[in-house]
Amino acid sequence: MRFVRLRVANYRGLAHAEVAFGPAGITLVQGPNEAGKSSLREAVGLLFDYPDNSRHRRIDAVKPVHRDEGPEVELEAESGPYAFTYFKRFTKRPETRLTVRAPRPENLTGREAHDRALAILQETLDYDLWRALIIEQGDAIRQPELGSQRSLSAALDRASGGRPADPREDSLFDKVRAEYLAYFTGERGAERRELADARQALADGEAAAAALRQALGELEADAERAAALGRELAQLERQEAELAREQAAHAADLEEIERLEKACSEAGLRLQTAQKSEQVAGRDLKERGALIEATERAAAELDRLEKADAESRPALTRAEAGLKEAQRAFGEADGRRKEAEAHAARRRDDFDFFNNQLNLDQLRERQGRIDAARASAGQAEAELARNHVTDRALKAIQEAERGLLEASARQRTEAPEVTLRGLAAVQLDVDGREVRLEKGGTRTLAVTETTRLALPGVLEVEIAAGAGAGAMVREVEEARRILAAACAKAGVADPDAARQAFEERREARRVADAVGQVEKDNLRDLTYDELDRKVRGLAAAVAEYRAKRPADPPMSPDLGAAKRERAEAETRLKEATGRWESARAALEAARGVWDELNAEHQARRVQRELFAGERDKANGSLERARAAAADDALAAALEAAERVVADTAAAVRAAETSLQAKNPDKVRALAETAAGSLRTVQQRRAAAQTELTEVRTRLKIRGEEGLHEKLRQAEIDLERRRAETGALLRRAAAARCLFETMREEREQARRAYVAPLKEKIEGLGRLVFDPTFAVEVSEELRIESRTLGGVTVPFDSLSGGTREQLSLVFRAACAMIVAGEGGMPLILDDALGYTDPERLRLMGAVLARAARECQIVIFTCLPDRYAAIGDATVVAI
Amino acid sequence: MVRFLHTSDWQLGMRRHFLDEGAQERYAQARFDAVRALGRIARDEDCRFMLVCGDAFESNQVDRRTVARALEALRDVPVPVYLLPGNHDPLNEASVYRSATFLERKPPHVHVIENSEPVLVAEGVELAGAPWLSRRPAANPVYEALRAPAPAAGVVRVFAGHGAVDRFTPAGDAPGLIAVADLEGAVAEGRAHFIALGDRHSLTELGAGGRIWYSGTPEATDFDEVRSGRALVVEVGPAGAAAREVAVGGWRFVERARVDLNAADDIAALRLELGGLEQKACTVVRLNLVGTLSLALAAALQHELDAARELFASFEVRDGGLVVTPDDPDFADLGFSGFADATVRRLRERIEGGGEEGRVARDALMLLVRLAKEAV
Repeated sequence: MRFVRLRVANYRGLAHAEVAFGPAGITLVQGPNEAGKSSLREAVGLLFDYPDNSRHRRIDAVKPVHRDEGPEVELEAESGPYAFTYFKRFTKRPETRLTVRAPRPENLTGREAHDRALAILQETLDYDLWRALIIEQGDAIRQPELGSQRSLSAALDRASGGRPADPREDSLFDKVRAEYLAYFTGERGAERRELADARQALADGEAAAAALRQALGELEADAERAAALGRELAQLERQEAELAREQAAHAADLEEIERLEKACSEAGLRLQTAQKSEQVAGRDLKERGALIEATERAAAELDRLEKADAESRPALTRAEAGLKEAQRAFGEADGRRKEAEAHAARRRDDFDFFNNQLNLDQLRERQGRIDAARASAGQAEAELARNHVTDRALKAIQEAERGLLEASARQRTEAPEVTLRGLAAVQLDVDGREVRLEKGGTRTLAVTETTRLALPGVLEVEIAAGAGAGAMVREVEEARRILAAACAKAGVADPDAARQAFEERREARRVADAVGQVEKDNLRDLTYDELDRKVRGLAAAVAEYRAKRPADPPMSPDLGAAKRERAEAETRLKEATGRWESARAALEAARGVWDELNAEHQARRVQRELFAGERDKANGSLERARAAAADDALAAALEAAERVVADTAAAVRAAETSLQAKNPDKVRALAETAAGSLRTVQQRRAAAQTELTEVRTRLKIRGEEGLHEKLRQAEIDLERRRAETGALLRRAAAARCLFETMREEREQARRAYVAPLKEKIEGLGRLVFDPTFAVEVSEELRIESRTLGGVTVPFDSLSGGTREQLSLVFRAACAMIVAGEGGMPLILDDALGYTDPERLRLMGAVLARAARECQIVIFTCLPDRYAAIGDATVVAI
Repeated sequence: MVRFLHTSDWQLGMRRHFLDEGAQERYAQARFDAVRALGRIARDEDCRFMLVCGDAFESNQVDRRTVARALEALRDVPVPVYLLPGNHDPLNEASVYRSATFLERKPPHVHVIENSEPVLVAEGVELAGAPWLSRRPAANPVYEALRAPAPAAGVVRVFAGHGAVDRFTPAGDAPGLIAVADLEGAVAEGRAHFIALGDRHSLTELGAGGRIWYSGTPEATDFDEVRSGRALVVEVGPAGAAAREVAVGGWRFVERARVDLNAADDIAALRLELGGLEQKACTVVRLNLVGTLSLALAAALQHELDAARELFASFEVRDGGLVVTPDDPDFADLGFSGFADATVRRLRERIEGGGEEGRVARDALMLLVRLAKEAV
């Protein structure tokens, strides 16, 4: 929107004033104070807000002071596509006229004109914000305090609340909130105490009324109960009396019954006594009979036993004789058998003796053979130990012998031979050895080396062989030495002796080897020691038997006779033993017969004695009993007792009959029932009486409390409280509903402004400050803080100058966002008094910048202050 | 011929929920005053005695002070008084007539009819009563009492009874219902020359040539009573009886069953009517409002009602049939826009939705209108 021209007439102190605004940008309206600058601004608001006939005090307030004329306002303006002139004269000759030139001509008057003008505003700009700013600007103009951005939200509230600009009034929203806060705490809506108290009071009242109602109910029930108890008591008393009468009647009957029962029981006792006497008499009689019978029985038994004894005695005697005879026969047979046994034993011993002797001879022979063999073997072993000519020794000797013979042969062949022929027997010494040479005898000497022949005392010839002979001699000597060594080693003199010795050694070896076979053949399964012991044992046994054996009977001559005689003796013994067996069986039989008879005899004897004693005792008892009471007396006593019993039993029956006639069970049952009923009735009466007393006590205590009136009053109070509480809660609910709805709508409206406002503020602010400039705009549409170079400072902590500058920026931003195009005119009244010259220059840039988007009108009496605002239309009033 | 004052149903100790504390006290006092007024009437009319046919007390469990004040009032009555226990104050174990306060303070000329034995109350005049001994008797005590032999020749017998009669109450609705025909029979047989009844609060004649009457209560107690606030001066002899009503009480119960309110004129008419009622401090009013009003008219009505409420002893308004609708004119002058306007729209939507939420929204809207107007 842009103002083109504004004219007022008859307006407050102004008779007439008119301002023609610049075509665009800033219009600087210059004039002294009180020249009507504020009236011009105010007039725009009144023009749109109030119908021409309004009696509103704000209209009254602008009436001219001394003239009876209606104030006039005429505005020529452009808004969106519209260009119009709007005229109003208030109160006196009211008139409204709207002339729209674009987009198409319209001419309207009266209410139509008013409505159309509003419609144009609402169509082309944010109407609420527009009105708020009209209000806001009015404040700003008058307020000496700067930083007036803070009242935009309140102005919006007032604009929306339908109350045109009067900043002293509370906004509608504040009223709604105040109403709400009368019932709830804070905006979160906890109920205030009075609501809770009212609810509690209601509950208390209900509880109190209920308690009283119950008490009254109980009281009334008690009253009814008391009456009922009175009736019940009367009834119970009647019953009690009747039952008492009945009980008395039963008492008489019971007395008679008791008497009869006593008679009955006495008769019964008497009967028992009589029966006992009868039993005693009967028993006495029975015992006497038994006693007599016992006496008789003992006598009879004794008699029988004696008779039997006499009859059995001869048989016993016979059996005794038989036994003796059998004993004698058995003794005889026994002797004979023993004799035959002795004889048979002798003959067996004899036979054994002969056997032993034979055996001994044989064993001795075997032992002799062994001993002989052992002796030969011993000699042979000695020979073997002495004779060393073994096969090998013999072979060596014979080898050496052959060597010597061969050597000798070669010597003889090659060595000079001296033949000595005895012309007479002579004793020669050949090489120191005496050689006898018989006459005619010859002896050849082979001279191997040197041979010395000497005729003792006569001559001595020394024959020496040649040089070859010497080697031969040495060879023979060597062979001879070897032979001699071999013989010496074998312990023989010469090879012949060796051969003899070799034969002897071989014989000795054979003999030594033969002794083993001899032992094996003769020892058989025995060792030599065992054989030797046997031989010694048998020899001793044979010698002993021979020494000890009695002469009679004479010894059998040889083994065969002994064998024969032994067989005979055995036969005789068998015969004797057979006879002994027979005798013994006969003896056993005889003894058996006798034993049996004797045992019978002895038993009978004992029984006899027993019965004799018994008979004597029975006799004694019977005699004593008879002395006390004769048999007849006992029978009579029993008879008498039986008669008494019969009589007494009849008496008992009679008593019982009369008792039964009274029907005691029935009488007793009835009496007990009556007594029980009486007790019950008495108990019930006592209980009823107790309860009645209790009920009466309660009635007395509570009866005069005035419960009825209290209850009624409580109910009345309750009803009243219920109504009051209901109304209170209803008011609270209404307040809450209204507040919450309105708050929601309001916040929604506020939020719509925050973002565009912040954007515009920051855009303009960066001209004054620097590119880091930012602000925080609250939902209450206030600048909460400014941020510059990353430092955030709350609005109220900023310097007065900064606050003023921010406020101006804020207002310019507001003016810019009122409408999408062209904003609304921003009216400033000597603003920026706190701003230093440098900042003033920057603010000039802000205004110049803002002026591109909205019209700016500055009222001032100090035009110099706005030297830096760039292009401006200057108007004077 | 004997003359006596027939009354009943004093209902001393009665409390009415529609009375606030001050009115309640005045109302209670009026009932004690009525007893004294009856005493004055008895004296002025030269009555031989006063017969109270039941329910002298509202309940057996009335406050001790009520008993004391009743006896104090009775002390001022210059003639013998015969009190018949009724269904509210039966002569049971908890009976007020057996309370210590009553027994201690009872003046000698006050008698409680404790049984149905006829008593001689004047030369040639017998009084026979049928006291209630329990709150819920099997049959009305009247039947037991009416079995008494007829009075001696020349003796007038006044019979006192209490209870509802079949003519006004359907059978089974109240314990101890009395058949009018039986009473008429007793009168016809000469066993009673006058039957004075209590229980019904409206003064009523039951027939038999003016010999059977309900006296009604001497001080009105409810809206549905026809001729209450009175008593009967009875003159009875063997040959006939005459009963004459006398005014006693000063309280009125006024109910308008339907008050149509749709326009400002209706409200003005109501104001006039209420203004015309006399003795407002002793008048109990009940209005049943019907119609449809705008918010503005509703506010005006409220104003009138608030003014009236301060004048009457009780002023009860039942407005369940009254619909208040917010009309466009209600808001036209308020000039709402923005969120205030949006709030109004939302509340009106909710009102149309109805129900409890609609009711709350309506209250909220009315509150908004009030607050907005206060801001003018």
